[in-house]
Amino acid sequence: MALERDERSEVDLKDPVSRPLKAYAFDPTQGKALGNYMTVSVRYLPLLRAGPADRYLAVIDYDATNKCYYRPVDLDDPAVLIRSGLDPAETDPQFHQQMVYAVASETIRRFELALGRSIEWSFSRRRRGDPSESGSLRIFPHAMQEANAYYSRDLRALLFGYFPASTTDSGANLPGQMVFTCLSHDIIAHETTHALVDSQRDFFMEPTSPDAPAFHEAFADLVALFQHFSFKEALLAMIQRTGGAIYQSEVAPERQPAMAGGFIQAELSSANPLVQLARQFGEAMGMRKALRAALGTPPNSRMLETVWEPHARGAILVAAVFDAFFTIYVRRTQDLMRIARLGGSTLYDLHPDLSNRLASEAVKTAEHFLNICIRALDYCPPVDIRFGDFLRAMITADSDLVPDDPYGYRIAIIDAFRSRGIVPEGAASFSEESLRWASPEIFDGTSLPTCKGLEFDVFKHDPDLQKEAEKKNGGVLHDYAVANQEALGLSAEEGMKIQARTFHEVHRVRPDGEVLFDFVAELTQHREVPADPQNPDAGTFTFRGGTTLVIDRAGEVRVAIQKRVGAVADDSKNVRLKQQRAYLNDRISSVGMAAYVTDSRLAARLANATIDFKLVHRGY
Amino acid sequence: MAARKVVVRRSRLAAGRRPKPQPNGRTRASADAQLGVGVISIRMYRVGFGDCFLLSLPVNGGERRHILVDCGVHARGDIGSIDRVIDDIAAETKRKLAIVIATHAHQDHISGFGKRADVFSTFEVGEVWLPWTWDPNNPDAVKLQAKHAALAAALNDHFQAANTLTAAGSIAAAAADAVVNLSGNARAIDLLVSGFRVGAKVRFLKAGDSLGDPAGVTGLSVKILGPPQSPEFLAQMDPPAGQHYLRVGAADGDEGTRVEPFAARWKIDTAIGDTMTRLSEADRISLEAAASSPPEELAFALDQARNNESVVALLSYRGKNLLFAGDAQYGNWRWWLDNEKPDLILPEVSFFKVAHHGSVNATPKDALERMTDGGFAAMVSTQGTPWPSIPRVPLMQRLSEKTKQKLVRSDWLPVKGAPTPASGSLPRAPGAPPPGFAQGALWFDCPL
Repeated sequence: MALERDERSEVDLKDPVSRPLKAYAFDPTQGKALGNYMTVSVRYLPLLRAGPADRYLAVIDYDATNKCYYRPVDLDDPAVLIRSGLDPAETDPQFHQQMVYAVASETIRRFELALGRSIEWSFSRRRRGDPSESGSLRIFPHAMQEANAYYSRDLRALLFGYFPASTTDSGANLPGQMVFTCLSHDIIAHETTHALVDSQRDFFMEPTSPDAPAFHEAFADLVALFQHFSFKEALLAMIQRTGGAIYQSEVAPERQPAMAGGFIQAELSSANPLVQLARQFGEAMGMRKALRAALGTPPNSRMLETVWEPHARGAILVAAVFDAFFTIYVRRTQDLMRIARLGGSTLYDLHPDLSNRLASEAVKTAEHFLNICIRALDYCPPVDIRFGDFLRAMITADSDLVPDDPYGYRIAIIDAFRSRGIVPEGAASFSEESLRWASPEIFDGTSLPTCKGLEFDVFKHDPDLQKEAEKKNGGVLHDYAVANQEALGLSAEEGMKIQARTFHEVHRVRPDGEVLFDFVAELTQHREVPADPQNPDAGTFTFRGGTTLVIDRAGEVRVAIQKRVGAVADDSKNVRLKQQRAYLNDRISSVGMAAYVTDSRLAARLANATIDFKLVHRGY
Repeated sequence: MAARKVVVRRSRLAAGRRPKPQPNGRTRASADAQLGVGVISIRMYRVGFGDCFLLSLPVNGGERRHILVDCGVHARGDIGSIDRVIDDIAAETKRKLAIVIATHAHQDHISGFGKRADVFSTFEVGEVWLPWTWDPNNPDAVKLQAKHAALAAALNDHFQAANTLTAAGSIAAAAADAVVNLSGNARAIDLLVSGFRVGAKVRFLKAGDSLGDPAGVTGLSVKILGPPQSPEFLAQMDPPAGQHYLRVGAADGDEGTRVEPFAARWKIDTAIGDTMTRLSEADRISLEAAASSPPEELAFALDQARNNESVVALLSYRGKNLLFAGDAQYGNWRWWLDNEKPDLILPEVSFFKVAHHGSVNATPKDALERMTDGGFAAMVSTQGTPWPSIPRVPLMQRLSEKTKQKLVRSDWLPVKGAPTPASGSLPRAPGAPPPGFAQGALWFDCPL
């Protein structure tokens, strides 16, 4: 029974910093090996209801196939608290609720740490005026009987399905056993990331090019995979088994078999879980391997021209980032390996101290890379993301923070992207200087006055004062944008209003201790464009453009990332518009329904629809 | 292009009937006498909404060998002509077919085989070509067909039940018609897979196959461009995993396929008290809608999967290349456009059987644009019923431009009670065959 606050002893008990909760590090098929039974230190937040529900998340265990609720867990129950959460159990829905809450909270926390501010969901921002709808992201751990899991902005929720494993080819699962997507650490992190990316750039869910859904998939996979490198036990085990080469997808057996082909488990080589995603799901679908892998695609600069399916295309971006990550890891650990070899150490049977040092390097590098990726979101254009834009965003984000780059992170990233054919538009060459986004002055010589009047006070806690400051900043940005339209790449045409969509302060701490204060703002515009210039019956779609501004404390515009909407008169020459139109027509062509319904209805429906993750994920 | 003599052929109806003079007053002449030696002829029959093409190849010795590509009509697009068409085929080929190609298992391509099985079993058939997805010895194919059959049956039940409530022209009506196409094909499939029970050689074809001199037709070489047999393609063809799709239309909870993931003690029917988050009724309904697929979506997905299993064949004979594209849609085309050498194939095409009755997503733009301007003739077997959006007007216009008007649609043939092309959709006065084509009561001929 909880005691009242004033009945406690004189020790002043503040809220704890973290709440330990048990979860699977990978999924149930790993058993207890490799630290699979892990304890996540979730940031402590007061729980509003059983479920659990806090101000970011609300876990609701409603099963739409069986049309019933499952008993919600009360994580504040002393019996649960004292054990650091319920023990992992596949048959206990309350553990599933706990795991989903723990992993989703951890992913949110990572984003907040990298971005340096609190997350506000995209749907809660849009519905600000409506108090009846809570601003939290709902999670349905057992939403439906389907081999699928997805983020739905309309439902403001993450939906996780469950399904019986294949009876003919179930891999490590029992044939026909119940497989829960909510018990896969990777899948929970992946879906939560979709919601988090949506919270930062909600126009990225509009299908403007094949890169749009592929980027979402790639980013979600990146976050899920980088999380693996924070699992110390698994990392140490893999370092031992691979002699430090943790990027191998197959690890050598514990004992080399005497004759060809091993007999016991210890003699069989196995898969490296660090670089694989959603192993149980893949095996349950009869794929005999994990769903995707970090280095799944070899460097091939022509692949982007032929691969269109979102996951396959996204896998190219994931492979590029991981290529760079492992290259840096190797570089950082070269001195350790040299020392080890001098000391007579062989590739296998690494000394435990050496393993530990290698593990710390891996953890540190993974953290750096994840932070670069997440921070790069701030340096992305407001609409129509392409892989090349993301490359430039990563380079710019890192250059701001770490101007001198002793280990060559940026060169590694550039090389990895280049070898996979990811080409940035608008850059003069593949050098770092050209790839960095620049201010308009450097870019094309137009001079830009400073933006005066922005309130940078980061220490406001009073929500009302904060609201006032936001309103004021919004006004200042809008006026500044209107006054400098041409220079900022915005169109001054009739009727095209500029919206100062989102803006926030950003604070970063450099390695040398210096704190950077910046202001990032997204200005967007849009207009309706015919879907087929020769056929007026085909309807219209929304063509968006805009500029992301990064403004420093003095009001100087340091970076302006432009996606021009262009003038109506120049539509026939607008490359981006033509590409978007072609992609839209492609999408219409590949929909089975397209043949049977008249043009305008379908074009309108598809054009204005956001990416439907349910359908994208159905193709796994 | 040199002016061609317009050839009018006597339609060989059942013995005993005298052919009537044609309305435009031209005299007839026997087909064999008029058709010059070495002229390949492709006959498109007007069956309604469906396909039925008879290919006639001249061989050494003045003889002709015949290839029948599909013979079927959609129940909702039936104009009552298919019986006469089959009689004409019997007469024209003297009941001898070198090859029968059934592109895919849709009613509008194979219903004729089932309906007039008695007639077809009196034929002498050399070979029967089918897509590999019909192969009873291929486990992937068998699994796929079982899934498709179960889904089609469930969808059929659903749409039959909802029949009276469906507004004409709505998406639900379009979906219902797509489901009709999937039903009633068992007899035809059975007949075809057994080789017409006359000992014909049955081939199950996949993309990449090449056939030389098949059925003893020397000089004929065939390249099969679809359907592919890759795992990615198979995944596209597979109806979505998840048992609940098979429960579409079933009464609330068909216990056989729905699974309960947890023991009963964990279940509660409604949210208990204020301690847990409650779903509003509206939210609950939207969640349940999201968790299932609307039957229309499934119907179209299944229809597309079935269309994509079409055999796409490039027949090369005596310097002419004939592309028969079945009902292949985007996924099927995309495979061979990316994996074969379309730049070597498409510009050399002399005849194009327009895919899927001229619908919007069955002829990719980049494929059509690569064909040679004025270098090929095209035929499209189509009509505006049951789907007014088929054929697609801009596609028809572009085809007419590319072929320099060497294009015919089957619904230009006047048949009593049958729909004519909608205005604005390349209509044509009946009775005047376009230059380069010949016309009969129920067919157009394209000599090459």
